[in-house]
This record gives sequence, C-alpha cells and structure tokens, in this order.
Amino acid sequence: MDFFTYLGGNYNDLLEQTLEHALIVLVSVAIGSVIGLALGVLTYRRPRQRTLVLSVTGVFLTIPSLALFSVMVSILGLGTQPVIIALTMYSLLPIVRNTVTGLLGVDQAVVESAQGMGMGRWQRLRRIELPLAWPVILTGIRVSTMVLVGIAAIGAIVNGGGLGQDIFAALARVGSPAALNLALGAFFAIILLGAVLDALFLLLSRATTSRGIR
Amino acid sequence: MTEPMIRLDRLTKRFPRQAIPAVEDLSLDVPEGEIVILVGPSGCGKTTTMKMVNRIIEPTSGRIELQGEDVTDANPDQLRRRIGYVIQQIGLFPHLTISDNVATVPRMLKWPSGRIDARVDEMLELVGLDPSLFRDRYPKQLSGGQRQRVGVARALAADPPVMLMDEPFGAIDPITRERLQNEFLRLQEEIRKTIVFVTHDIDEAIKMGDRIAILRDRAQIAQYDTPEQILSSPADGFVEDFIGSGASLKRLNLVRARDYHLSEWPTADSDGDRGEMLADLRRAGKGALLLLDAQRRPIRWLRARDLQRADEPLDRIGLEVRAVVSRQATLADALNEMLESRIGSTVVVDGRGAYLGTIDIDIIMAAVDTMRHSAREASLAELGDEHDRQDTGA
Repeated sequence: MDFFTYLGGNYNDLLEQTLEHALIVLVSVAIGSVIGLALGVLTYRRPRQRTLVLSVTGVFLTIPSLALFSVMVSILGLGTQPVIIALTMYSLLPIVRNTVTGLLGVDQAVVESAQGMGMGRWQRLRRIELPLAWPVILTGIRVSTMVLVGIAAIGAIVNGGGLGQDIFAALARVGSPAALNLALGAFFAIILLGAVLDALFLLLSRATTSRGIR
Repeated sequence: MTEPMIRLDRLTKRFPRQAIPAVEDLSLDVPEGEIVILVGPSGCGKTTTMKMVNRIIEPTSGRIELQGEDVTDANPDQLRRRIGYVIQQIGLFPHLTISDNVATVPRMLKWPSGRIDARVDEMLELVGLDPSLFRDRYPKQLSGGQRQRVGVARALAADPPVMLMDEPFGAIDPITRERLQNEFLRLQEEIRKTIVFVTHDIDEAIKMGDRIAILRDRAQIAQYDTPEQILSSPADGFVEDFIGSGASLKRLNLVRARDYHLSEWPTADSDGDRGEMLADLRRAGKGALLLLDAQRRPIRWLRARDLQRADEPLDRIGLEVRAVVSRQATLADALNEMLESRIGSTVVVDGRGAYLGTIDIDIIMAAVDTMRHSAREASLAELGDEHDRQDTGA
C-alpha cells in the first residue's frame, strides 16, 4: 500500500490525532503562559530571584522528555494529565525569559514619564510595560509552542494521546510496510501542525500589537 | 511676598552607599506663575531636587509644600496628577496614539469622555499641532520637535498648577530648540503655570527663567535671583565663572524683538511692477527690496540686478529669505540669524508669518549700549555714597 492510499484510508484518524495533539500542546502552552508571565513579572526587577527562576526553568528543559514523562506517570498514573504537566514545565523557560527580556527592554524614560503622571506600579505594568513588551513575550510563547509540538509526540508512550500514537505503533512494527506509512503520516502531520500554529501566532501578533510599535 | 506655589524646606537627599548627600539642606520658594530655573554643573543635584518635588525621588529629610499644603507624605500618585512632568527624552507612550497620550492624566482623573476629547484637541492646538492631522498618529510618526510639543500638551492636559521640566529641549537640534523655546514662552504668557525647569545651559536659563537658582555641589544655592540681577551682579566667583564671559552679549537673551522699535524695510508686493520696484529700491538706498506674498509673508530679497532680469517670475529671482524670527525671539536669536544672512538684517514676523519689520546691527548695538549703561548705573547705585566715583565715560 503506498503512502497516498494509506492517507486516503486513514485521513480521519490522522486528523483526529492531530487535533488531539494540538489541544494537548495549546492547553500546556496556555498554562505555561500564565505561570511564565507571572514568574517573569514578579522577578524581572529582582536580579537574584530572576536568575533563580531562569536557572530552574532552564534545568527543566534539560531533562530528557522520556524521563520526565516516566516520573510524572509514577506520580499521576497514565493519561493526558502527566503529559500536560510535563509539557507545561518545558514551556516555561522561553516564556519567562522573553517576559523578563521584554519588560527590561522597555525604555526607562517611558516608564518614568508614566510614573511622573501618577500611574501606580500596577497601572504602569498593565498599561505601559506589558503592552510594550508584548511582541517579545508573544515570541517566547510561540517558541514554546513549537518546542512542545515536537516533545508532545513522546507523550503517547504514557497514553497521553496525539500523533505520538502512530509513531509508537510504527516503532512496534518496524520492517513492515505499514510502519513506514504510519511514521510518515505522523511526521508530516506534526510538521503541518507546527506550520499552522506558527502562522496563527504571526496573525495573533499582528492583531494584538499596537501599530505604534510594529 | 504671597504664599509661594512650591516651598522646599530644608530638603536633603542621601542615596544609599554614597558618602556625600546629593542635596543637602535646600530651602527654596517658587512663586506662583513663574518659571524658576535650576541650573548648575552636572552632578550638582538639580535633577534630584526637581524629582523630589513630585517625589519620583523621596527626600531623606525635609518638607515639600504645594500651595501651602504639606505633601511630603501625601499619596505620590495623587500628587503627581497635580503636577505636569516633561523629561528630556519626552517619554511618549509609543504604543498609544497622540490623543491617547495626551488623554492619559484626564482619564486617570476619570473625566467624562466628551470633555477628554475636547481637551485633547484644545491642547494639541495650544502647542501648534493640528488635531485632525495628529490625533490618530503614533509617536514614531512625529519629528523630535513635534514629540516635544506633544510632551508639553500631555503634561498640561489636566491643567495642573505646576509643571516640572527636566531639560525639556535638551535632545533637540539647535534651530528647532530655539523655536520651541520661543513658542513655550508665548504659551506661558497664556497659561501662567508655576514651572520648575532644570537645565545645565546658562543661556537657556537666562532666556527662559523669571528667576534662576544657580546650584553648586549638593544643590547648595550659589545665587537665586532674576536673570538681570545674576548677569549684572553675580554673587560670587562661582556664579561669575558659571555665567562665563560675554555677560553683556548674554543680556541680549533678555530682550525680545517685540520690546524694540523695529526698523522699516522697503517692501514690494508680488504683483507689483518691476520698474516701480527698481525706483523704490533706489529711493530707499538699501541693498534689496523685501518681496511679500499675498499674506504679507516675506518670500525673497530682490536686489537691483535681480529686478533687471525679466526672464523669471518674481518669486524665483533674488535671494531666499533665511533670517526670520518671531516677535518672541530674543535679540540674541535675531543676531544669530543676522550673521548668517547675506543682507545683514533679520526679518521679524508675527504668529501667522506676516512681516512686521526688521532688526539690523544698529538696533542690536543700541540695545547693548543701553543695557551696559543701565547695568553700570545699577552697580554705581549699589556702590552708593561711600565710593563717590564719577563716571567719566568715553
């Protein structure tokens, strides 16, 4: 059976897995964005805490995904939940780092003039600093998303769902013609998903960044 | 003296890990409706002093009074909404439109939106920017001078009684700076704010200030007086050095074109006859005629040999009119322009650019003479009877 015949027959399954994959990634990135933004906002003016947060989230990224999934499974059991928690941990570094970089990159004269006009700490952050840092923060979220699209495939090994299921199925049948089709299908679906998400982020960035700083 | 608008009472600021205080025991009264300049060498504490007024920098000790009210411990954000603030980098919010920038403080004060919109337009007009053109632009689409004006409009939007300005014209090219300074002085005649203005440039201080505080290390006041007094009787060697040489030339910064009787220059209308113009020019005995357009704005200098050419229209022959100043310009501005003009006269125009008269070197020399004379009178009067000196003159 050639690849296109396979694709024609398994189109629906593949689409379902792709959507599941996308959902897992987006939920993880969403949680990671909330936590990462909060960590960035809380620490960007405090050098010691900032270094600590960046080191810890940096260490997360060095843990091999297979190991982290295994640890999560032994705590939480099989399923999607351990996968989402592990992926959230992986998403943190780019988001925290870009939040900090973006906030520190805001022109101090702009912040001072906001202060001089009577904006309090929170107003300054919400109305001036975060909107100005936003393109950089969003880039961090986008990078995290791209990283997670790849790592999420491994999640299938702990029954997390997504396109990893076909990959592991292919691994179990190495040598058979079906194996190659399964692997190729997941392979192209992951690339396509990455490209689509990337394009969505570009659109989101255009829509949410002020014309004044584009 | 009536109650000062701002009273600084024995203010001291010590920064952590610095042996010497940045400001030590400074007391200063700023009268209502005046521009008070804090000027001094870099590191003298002038900016620190200014920033303690709106408590961007909190004083270590001492008190700050605003309109008779002790604001040393007031809520700083509430306090700052009563004080306009313009810094050298202007600090416009780049992600907001010009109108949103200007509306910042009125919005925080929860003005109704109709009133805010009207106020934004009024402020833009006040600083000479057409609201319909600029309202929806972003800061990056503006020139440096335009941004500076928006900065002033934004600081004035909630009509604060007090403005703090930290080298507001510092980052702008010299020609634009001069124009903005003059515009600001004209504006101040209307709005009569109490202004604390920081600069390191003594010439700017002399030009802009109703009163000047010359500061030395730790914001110690070397002299606090009117520009006239500081120029004619500096308190000590430090002030003398700081003013620098050429005090009588600097006095040219104190007088404005509008205070002087301008010279009349022979003019011509753009639809006039060339033969008559030539005759006018001969009669006037000047080097050139000043050609005015229909709105009486100067456009060209026409010399006799230009008028004899018939091949080009009037507005294409002769010399461009380069040296033009407004009525608010000082004689120093006029002299500057004159030195660059080939005709040797500076044209003075009104707010709409229409011709009023000219300033030539004779007017300037006469002004210098008068000022020198009155300064001498003043210092002689001060010396009084004990030195019974005679002014022998030249």
